[in-house]
Amino acid sequence: MPVKRNNIFFKVFNEESILIHWNDQVNLKLIDTIISYQKLIEQELSEVLIECVQSINSMMVIYDPNKINSEDLVKTLQKLNSSDVKVAKSEKKIWKIPVCYDLSFGIDLEDMSTLNSISVDEIIKIHSSTTYSVLSMGFLPGFLYLGVNDKKLYCERKDKPELNIKSGSIGIARDQTGIYPQDSPGGWKIIGRSPISFFNVNNKSPCFSKPGDKIKFQSISFLEFNKIEKRKNSYKIKYEVV
Amino acid sequence: MIKVLKEGLFSTIQDSGRFGYKNIGVPVSGAMDQTSAKLANLILGNDESAAVLEMTLLGPTLEFLNDTYISITGADMNPMVNKKKVLLNETLLIKKGDILYLANSSNGMRTYLGIRGGLNSEKILGSKSFYKGITKKEKLIKNDQIEFDLSISSPKKINQNFNDIKINRNSKIKVFKGPEFGCLDPISQDMIFNNEFTIGVNNRMAYNLVEIIENKIPSIVSSPLMPGTIQLTPSGRVIILCRDCQTTGGYPRILQLDKKSLDCLSQKVTGEKINFYLNKSL
Repeated sequence: MPVKRNNIFFKVFNEESILIHWNDQVNLKLIDTIISYQKLIEQELSEVLIECVQSINSMMVIYDPNKINSEDLVKTLQKLNSSDVKVAKSEKKIWKIPVCYDLSFGIDLEDMSTLNSISVDEIIKIHSSTTYSVLSMGFLPGFLYLGVNDKKLYCERKDKPELNIKSGSIGIARDQTGIYPQDSPGGWKIIGRSPISFFNVNNKSPCFSKPGDKIKFQSISFLEFNKIEKRKNSYKIKYEVV
Repeated sequence: MIKVLKEGLFSTIQDSGRFGYKNIGVPVSGAMDQTSAKLANLILGNDESAAVLEMTLLGPTLEFLNDTYISITGADMNPMVNKKKVLLNETLLIKKGDILYLANSSNGMRTYLGIRGGLNSEKILGSKSFYKGITKKEKLIKNDQIEFDLSISSPKKINQNFNDIKINRNSKIKVFKGPEFGCLDPISQDMIFNNEFTIGVNNRMAYNLVEIIENKIPSIVSSPLMPGTIQLTPSGRVIILCRDCQTTGGYPRILQLDKKSLDCLSQKVTGEKINFYLNKSL
């Protein structure tokens, strides 16, 4: 069934990109709409397309200006938007990510517990029983923006970012949770760490997941963390097909 | 092969960029001053996107372990081969054992070294451009060895006139209006085009400006960015994003540099003045 796309704006951003913006309320349905439109563009305009960058209410279409001008591209994009061309179906996955919520990894668990008047156990229970959607990627190569958190887990970013958040750390900021794919500075509140590797440039697809997928965190013990970490490079992330 | 005898301040291998991975958060990277990098390649008859060496403020000292042809473009680092001064924007014959000295830059910030056939370093996700977390190396250090194509003996005969890709060195930075430009109050909008701005702290990720523009625009949801996007932070800081910038961000995007102006900006050093002009060509 073609997805109906209204309230959509096209702006020539620079000499080689068009910004498409949706003036709708940000929700999972909108993200699905954007992702399926992106797939359609990738499928139909591969000749002139360099790449698309998706976010939760907009998308940048980067193209080769030697092959098409911006005016024609906007017209083509608009036509594509109202067409009935079907997107090749790709399966959606729910990835199972092992996380150790030990206090030595979840350095901000106790702080969050105090701020939100909720026990550490309950934070872990809620976080590991929610199915999150991959909303978009960015900030760092392979950084996943996941939403949406239960209101009980809502918390603001730290006032002062940490200088070195370890790779695999699971953070919370406002209504989103995220995974740090490499060591980096960061301001999200850290509640645990996963022992697996999330970004590998030697793979054809460097990141295991993509926007539109779903993710579920599975609580593991400190012992299991160490066991998996030892074979992190050969660890196959488990998934279910939706 | 080139051996790094002295590393200089900050030298990296760059090409035209890493394409197709922005959607998973990988920056485009590539030479900051694409015009100069392209010129370095065209002079030698290389593919214009071949990998070159980008050298910043203080250049390295390099020993060539094979014969080749090189070209040097961009900022003037007073290049010398052995003890003899050599020219910018020319094909230079290099003999095995020759040493290239590059000093402090004048008239710009970044110098490009092109090698006949291009530099041969590891290609990761379709590009040789250095970027932390993507390539093994972030910058060149002493004793590093860089390979290049040895099979090509002489530069192609070039009949092209390079005048159309000469580097623009003035203070004029041309911009398009960004998606959130209209959210600025009219006073701030005027202020942008009627005032001089000063280059502050800068690197391959972004150029900060010293002057402040009062910002009453609420932050936006994290949205796509491009090199050349000008963000305005809640405290009014003006940030011009460059080649290694993040792929998305939540600060209002008030302006967008055109591509030539982004190249021109990447030759500006801290303290230099710039003026914004509206590019109405879109």
